[in-house]
Amino acid sequence: MLLLDYQNVLIESLLKDRLAPDATPTSIDQVVSDFDNVTFHISTPTSKSQILVSIRVKCFDELVKYGAQAVLEREYGPYIVQPESGYDFSVQIDLAQLPESQEEKDELVAKISLLKRNAMAAPFEQAFDEHTELQEQARQYTSESAPQGVREGGEVRAIHYREEEGIYIKASHDRVTVIFSTVFREETDRVFGKVFLQEFVDARKRGVQNAPQVLQSNEPPLELQGQPGLARGSGKGEVGYITFVLFPRHLTPQRRGEVISHIQTFRDYFHYHIKASKAYIHSRMRRRTADFLQVLRRARPEAEEKERKTASGRTFRVQA
Amino acid sequence: MASQTPAVVMDNGTGYSKLGFAGNDSPSFVFPTAIATKGPAVGAGGSGSGRPAVANKPSFLTGGAGPTGHLSGKRGTEDLDFFIGDEALTAASGPGYGIHYPIRHGQIENWDHMERFWSNSIFKYLRVEPEDHYFLLTEPPLNPPENRENTAEIMFESFNCAGLYIAVQAVLALAASWTSSKVQDRSLTGTVIDSGEGVTHVIPVAEGYVIGSSIKSIPIAGRDITYFVQSLLRDRGEPDSSLKTAERIKEEFCYVCPDIVKEFSRFDKESDDRFKKYEVRHPNGRSVTVDVGYERFLAPEIFFNPEIYSSDFLTPLPNIVDTVIQTSPIDVRRGLYKNIVLSGGSTLYKDFGRRLQRDIRHLVDARLHASEVRAGNSAKSGGLDVQVISHKRQRHGPWFGGSLLGQTPEFRSYCHTKAEYEEIGPSIVRRFALLGGPGST
Amino acid sequence: MSQSLRPYLSCVRSTLTAALSLSNFASQAAERHNVPEIEAASSPELLLNPLTVSRNQEERVFVEPSVNSVRVSIRIKQADEIEHILVHKFTRFLTQRAEAFFILRRKAVPGYDISFLITNFHTEEMLKHKLVDFIIQFMEEVDKEISEMKLFLNARARFVAESFLTPFD
Repeated sequence: MLLLDYQNVLIESLLKDRLAPDATPTSIDQVVSDFDNVTFHISTPTSKSQILVSIRVKCFDELVKYGAQAVLEREYGPYIVQPESGYDFSVQIDLAQLPESQEEKDELVAKISLLKRNAMAAPFEQAFDEHTELQEQARQYTSESAPQGVREGGEVRAIHYREEEGIYIKASHDRVTVIFSTVFREETDRVFGKVFLQEFVDARKRGVQNAPQVLQSNEPPLELQGQPGLARGSGKGEVGYITFVLFPRHLTPQRRGEVISHIQTFRDYFHYHIKASKAYIHSRMRRRTADFLQVLRRARPEAEEKERKTASGRTFRVQA
Repeated sequence: MASQTPAVVMDNGTGYSKLGFAGNDSPSFVFPTAIATKGPAVGAGGSGSGRPAVANKPSFLTGGAGPTGHLSGKRGTEDLDFFIGDEALTAASGPGYGIHYPIRHGQIENWDHMERFWSNSIFKYLRVEPEDHYFLLTEPPLNPPENRENTAEIMFESFNCAGLYIAVQAVLALAASWTSSKVQDRSLTGTVIDSGEGVTHVIPVAEGYVIGSSIKSIPIAGRDITYFVQSLLRDRGEPDSSLKTAERIKEEFCYVCPDIVKEFSRFDKESDDRFKKYEVRHPNGRSVTVDVGYERFLAPEIFFNPEIYSSDFLTPLPNIVDTVIQTSPIDVRRGLYKNIVLSGGSTLYKDFGRRLQRDIRHLVDARLHASEVRAGNSAKSGGLDVQVISHKRQRHGPWFGGSLLGQTPEFRSYCHTKAEYEEIGPSIVRRFALLGGPGST
Repeated sequence: MSQSLRPYLSCVRSTLTAALSLSNFASQAAERHNVPEIEAASSPELLLNPLTVSRNQEERVFVEPSVNSVRVSIRIKQADEIEHILVHKFTRFLTQRAEAFFILRRKAVPGYDISFLITNFHTEEMLKHKLVDFIIQFMEEVDKEISEMKLFLNARARFVAESFLTPFD
């Protein structure tokens, strides 16, 4: 597995089972987690044919501030129900009132399994819209005469999606800047992370020219000046800031959906690969250890094979 | 933040892995413990000891690198190219992939594969950041401590998981039985009969600790019952006697009868009710009907009368259970008889528990009676309570027990945390405080 | 093999061969005890002069002989942070499995990455020159392994970065 999925596999497979033509309705009650402190509750509270999917996001207030409600209403319009207590947002599917065709059903399943993605997408969408607006305005000015607001770009949208880590999005007339802050608790992770981030920064120089520009620093970048609650390390580099600069090329209406889905997975993708490399290095070490053991075993002189016999004179044979 | 996230419960068995979150009543994912990697399947050898398998070179080496080894293909991404679970079975049926089963006889044999299996379980299926979650893993009874250490090494060093608890499957199965109304005191003393696909274990547990010397296993389990059903179908010349059909019939129609002879005559008298038909639908649209007859009660009967199926293993399950308890320390035997807990898919047949309870009680009563006679009526026995407990969570018993214990507020304090691991090293997992034992609620 | 490695290894080899002339020596302090004197260090006359063979500032071997045991400590080359972490991980992985390695010391001597403790019992049941071979081969391969792992890490990082950025392309 190279890239992480955007959708939640459990919701997808559960709903697929339930929406299949010959499925028998059964009750479900599962609380499951997803990346980034997201919790889902999939249940059938009233009857077996009504599936309620609720989501709880740590930073839902912030998301609402950046227009999450509108995005979710656009995506899930008719399915939205009153949020279940303890959760931020709920949708409900009635198995008795499903769309007719298989394609529509598949689409519904896909949509619901992307609940987390859509909830987190709001600030990105808002920033992208703002970018388009600023771009329009900027056309009217030369770079010198532009008013402060256009040159500087919009406000920084901060999503504190994890306790110590956040995503910051800032739109301006020629780009959208997405900054991830990340913290490494572990020495190994920090070193591995550094190697990885360096390659992210360099990737554009080789081959992937059209990719967003990536910058990396251990200090909060200039865009984040004045932001409250920024993580600062003790100077050993356990805090990192990764800046993605999205150019207008990435922000076209045709591409933005994909770009939003993809960039959301960055943090988990990054951490997943650090862990996968450690797993690989582990297996290398296992093999090398086995080799060393073999060398050491050669130091033992061949034990002379004495035939051992039982009292009745029978011999042992080593089984292959 | 780790304070709110539910614990991840993973029960990796020889056949199937059960993954999910504590607090739920069923696992989120159940799939085969299989991993498909590039290249042909190599015999899963390995020494089975705490050390990694020597004979088994990791699959990324099949690129031909010798012992000096260099990154095959420089890009070296073969270790990411694999599938687990059902996807592994699909991938292995096509070209290019070979299938491996990292767990043999309940114990992890190929750590490379297991590490990647976990990696994919966590990131692809459960979708959690292991740094935010506590993990509850299971192990078979008599698992060598080195295996535990290896597990801890992977969980803490590769995945940085927040905390880890490793529990013995049988103990979790006991905890799972607390949901049954028959269980009054939540004790961790009892005999666990764990019958899955490959093998059946009878494991005595006293106050949360497995009595290792008395464990017995029986080479009769789910797979054997399926084979037996299949052979009966073949003997009758049914139109479809594939293993899959046999398995479906086993799951849908089989039950345990109180007495075979009576059951035979009942079948002859009320043939209409008793004989069933099973329709096999082929993928090409054709369907055939298979008659289902005596195998309904004969198949599970091989637990109680193994001689009808096997010629080399002849001891009935009730006798095994009795022997296991009789070889356990005398002061716990009463508790072991009183709390015989079923776990695993092959204990789900209707009336399995009732028959087992009756048979064991017969054995016990006969022995008591004999000793009373020998004592010449001078000593009267107060009787011995035999109780077999069936409950709703039997199928995934150990997983459910884990889920139950993993959601208790004190669970976290029983875990070893990442910080403790860093401080002490892998040997820390040699000891775990007993979860759900005396003193905890 | 670089210019200085060969003389370095051959020097270690002859030092070890010379140092590994051990004899059974019962403890002078406690009856019926037989402990590695280099560890116990109970009386100075049983210890021989320790010796450092060093290739450069980073790589060196410290040999501490005694009447019935020799302690060999190795400092493995670690040019940067990554190599440092990898060496640390690898040596810890090995010491974790010290049980199987007989001569591996569970804890490295301070200032070194890994230590071996060879006693007269080891030389009695194992071939001495093969034991020296093992240490030499270990030193050769451990360097190779570390640099390979580092190469892997860089290659993997590049691959991962490119795969993440390609969909934006």
